[in-house]
Amino acid sequence: MKLAAPRTLAGALTLVAIFLPIGLIVYQSLLSGAFFEPRSELGFSAFRFILSDPGFWKALGNSMLMGISMLVIAVPLGSFFAFLLVRTDTPGRKYMEPFMLAPMLTSPVVLAFGYLIAAGPVGFYSIWTRQLIGTVPWNIYSPISIAIIGGLIHVPHVYIYTSTALKNLASDIEEAARISGASPLRVAWDVSLPMIRPALIFSSVLVFLAGVETFGLVLILGNRMDFDTLAVYLYKLTNRLGVPSYQLMAAVAVVMLGLTIPLVTVQRFLLRGENRFASLKGKGARQRPVQLGSFRWVAFAIVCLWAIVTVVVPLSGVTLRAFVTSWGQGVDLISSLTLENFRIVFSEPSMLRAIKNSILIGVIGGALSVACYVVIALVLHRKHDGLSRSVDFSLMLPRALPGVAAGLAFFWAFLFFWPLTEFRTTLFSVWLAYTVVWLPYGVKLVQTALIQVSSELEEAARSVGAKPWQVIFDVSLPLVRFGILSSWVLVFIAFEREYATGVYLLNTGTEVVGAMLVSLADGGSINMVAALSVINITLVCAGMAVALRFGIKLHD
Amino acid sequence: MKFVLAAALALVAMNSSNAKSASDESYNTIIAAAKTEGKVVLYAPIDSPAMRPLIEDFNRRYPEVEVEFSDLQTTVLYNRYLSEMAAGVPSADVVWNTPMDLQFKLVQDGYAQEYIVREKDKLPTWASWENKLYAVSLDPAVFVYNKAEISGDTLPQSHAELVRILETNPDPFQGRIVSYDIEKAAGGFMMVVQDLKNFSDFWKIPDLFGKTAAQFPSGSGFMIETVGSGENVFGYNQLGSAASKGAAGNANLGIVYPKDYTVVLARTAFISKAARSPNAAKLLLDYLLSEQAQQIIVDNQIAYALRPEVEGELTLKTLSEKIGADKVRPVKIGPDLLEYLDANKRTEFLQKWQQAVAGTQQ
Repeated sequence: MKLAAPRTLAGALTLVAIFLPIGLIVYQSLLSGAFFEPRSELGFSAFRFILSDPGFWKALGNSMLMGISMLVIAVPLGSFFAFLLVRTDTPGRKYMEPFMLAPMLTSPVVLAFGYLIAAGPVGFYSIWTRQLIGTVPWNIYSPISIAIIGGLIHVPHVYIYTSTALKNLASDIEEAARISGASPLRVAWDVSLPMIRPALIFSSVLVFLAGVETFGLVLILGNRMDFDTLAVYLYKLTNRLGVPSYQLMAAVAVVMLGLTIPLVTVQRFLLRGENRFASLKGKGARQRPVQLGSFRWVAFAIVCLWAIVTVVVPLSGVTLRAFVTSWGQGVDLISSLTLENFRIVFSEPSMLRAIKNSILIGVIGGALSVACYVVIALVLHRKHDGLSRSVDFSLMLPRALPGVAAGLAFFWAFLFFWPLTEFRTTLFSVWLAYTVVWLPYGVKLVQTALIQVSSELEEAARSVGAKPWQVIFDVSLPLVRFGILSSWVLVFIAFEREYATGVYLLNTGTEVVGAMLVSLADGGSINMVAALSVINITLVCAGMAVALRFGIKLHD
Repeated sequence: MKFVLAAALALVAMNSSNAKSASDESYNTIIAAAKTEGKVVLYAPIDSPAMRPLIEDFNRRYPEVEVEFSDLQTTVLYNRYLSEMAAGVPSADVVWNTPMDLQFKLVQDGYAQEYIVREKDKLPTWASWENKLYAVSLDPAVFVYNKAEISGDTLPQSHAELVRILETNPDPFQGRIVSYDIEKAAGGFMMVVQDLKNFSDFWKIPDLFGKTAAQFPSGSGFMIETVGSGENVFGYNQLGSAASKGAAGNANLGIVYPKDYTVVLARTAFISKAARSPNAAKLLLDYLLSEQAQQIIVDNQIAYALRPEVEGELTLKTLSEKIGADKVRPVKIGPDLLEYLDANKRTEFLQKWQQAVAGTQQ
């Protein structure tokens, strides 16, 4: 059986899924009003408006700044941590891995709010610090703090790609280096990291884009210094002219989409000849951890410090808020304790439905999405034709679309395009939107694993008469099962914490936690936001615990 | 079950006998038709837990009419309703939203259907427009402050006092005043436009905000939260209902109803022209404007009551007792609301405001 027809179909469907919402945004940016209004005319007025607005240029500059600082912080730290936890004997490394993913458990808006409560001017850590040393040596509202926080919370995005790659890397090469007298750090720097260059480059591009797209952190923490990024500028623009001006929002979104093109070009250039990185070859190989000696405790301390700043501080802030009525200067936290916020959540049917739906979308939906991502990764696998080039080029686009615009674009797609219209009021709409928005993350994850399968294994199967589908199901996929499984965990987490994409698809019966948090935060119910977030984080942790246990078993 | 149903019907019958505007017979036709429709879709920016008592009470009266409620952010609500109308798909039967200008614009553009609510004679005359758009609940623009940080002479009791105190004693307020970013928040924009109309020294306020490096965070929740925590000390133009909710959980959070004038905004509702359940929509709108529903709105701190006979803290009656009836300034529903939807006029105002609040900041 030839796989050409299914492959073309899968590739075409992917392109449709990406370009339907994005095409709508582009079309909308070229109009003078809403695209569904007959009075709207074609033209460049929206672009003229934003390009002549000093606020746009300032936001563009800030976005680039965020992108660069995330790159500079998250990529070295994330890959360093991946090396420590996957390839060395750092103490407690098995238990630390879940912590590495913790900043992904909740949306940046909630994290930012956690920082505000925990480490803001009257946050409880700040008050304790002031009591201890007389001053608070940090200011979470400065652009530098925002950039550092942004970098630190994106460490997991790098970690998850690089660690997947490292797990598949046999240790014979590293051992060779060790035997020749290289120190552990030199092994990491000169051997392990170059071997996982594809994962590093993928995650660099993703993290840079995440930085450019920064919304929640800046929305909550940036106003004090008047620090806007493009996504916040877009959000502000909504009401600038009184009536929501879709064309202006769309124009900003198109600029953000445009930024991906040079990035993807550079990425493709750097990754040409990806076969060089194949390390999973026909020969069996075993992994042995690199011995760090006394440095292992230094490594342990560095990871712990990161975990405290990035996980413990914001999450303790959110958790505290969920259990108190008030906080801050001169507030006795013990006497403010309450369970009322949780009582309200658990007695509200729509919130219970939201929790149930979110789990459903995360677990079942996540598995289906990963299946789609695997298919797409296979479409791209070892092919260099027009189809794979166009899919590869477009993959990153959904990531560049800010949540506010993506939510509206998907809503319009489901509103105006048959057969999508049939599914608008079902959970399928939310699932599809999530699947497309997280496409680059998921597909790249599967690809990172697939790249390392040496083509000699597939060729060996073919030469003994295996059909194309047998090569896929009996050779390639089983070899990357670990990558696929951790991809499922990642996608589950991403879907659970997804914030803005679903706001327009919220209906009675299809509520999801993310969309509900948007409405609650806007209505000012911070206590509900905190309680619902804590419940959500707990659920994701439980899901992760189950998945990791399952995953570790498969790995051994 | 049968008994509950009978009791509910009896209640309906009893209510009907009190009404004057619509005859019992014609109203019974509406009720019967609503039962056949079986459900009504409501969009409103109200938390589901706060909305629940209203829906449950409505269902006690009309158990056959299911309320499908979606809590949507104000802008999302507008965008969604408009887009659904354009696509011609089922949407909200009743649209109940906060931005008065956007609601009025939708009505002007022909999205509402006319309906004379049952107890129209009991509602204030400024609270409706052409039997299409109705104020359902109210919200005054108040000051919030941190009691531990400012009090006595440093606590402004009116807009004029705010100006005087910020001119003479700005120190306690330096960097610690919060208000809406009027570029981002349409509601915040509307409130300052009302200030402009009510306060002759209006432009001094943004000037002084600039001099004291006032902050403009996103969302009322975060503003009230940070004033309550003592990070900030004073919140200008906050919604009264949100402030009351915040103060209920935090003894440090105080509320001032400005004594020179207090602007009162309305959360308005209309029945969609394209309503799939027009009769159930009528029942729901009538219910929301009923004395009992208004009492629930007050008791659950959803907003201030529109109807004068309702008792409680969040009523115009209590507000009038505090500052005097002539100082209460409800925003009238009418074409004036569209004034600042004109892009040029809005941009001009925004620029002037932004220049002023930028002040000595940076």
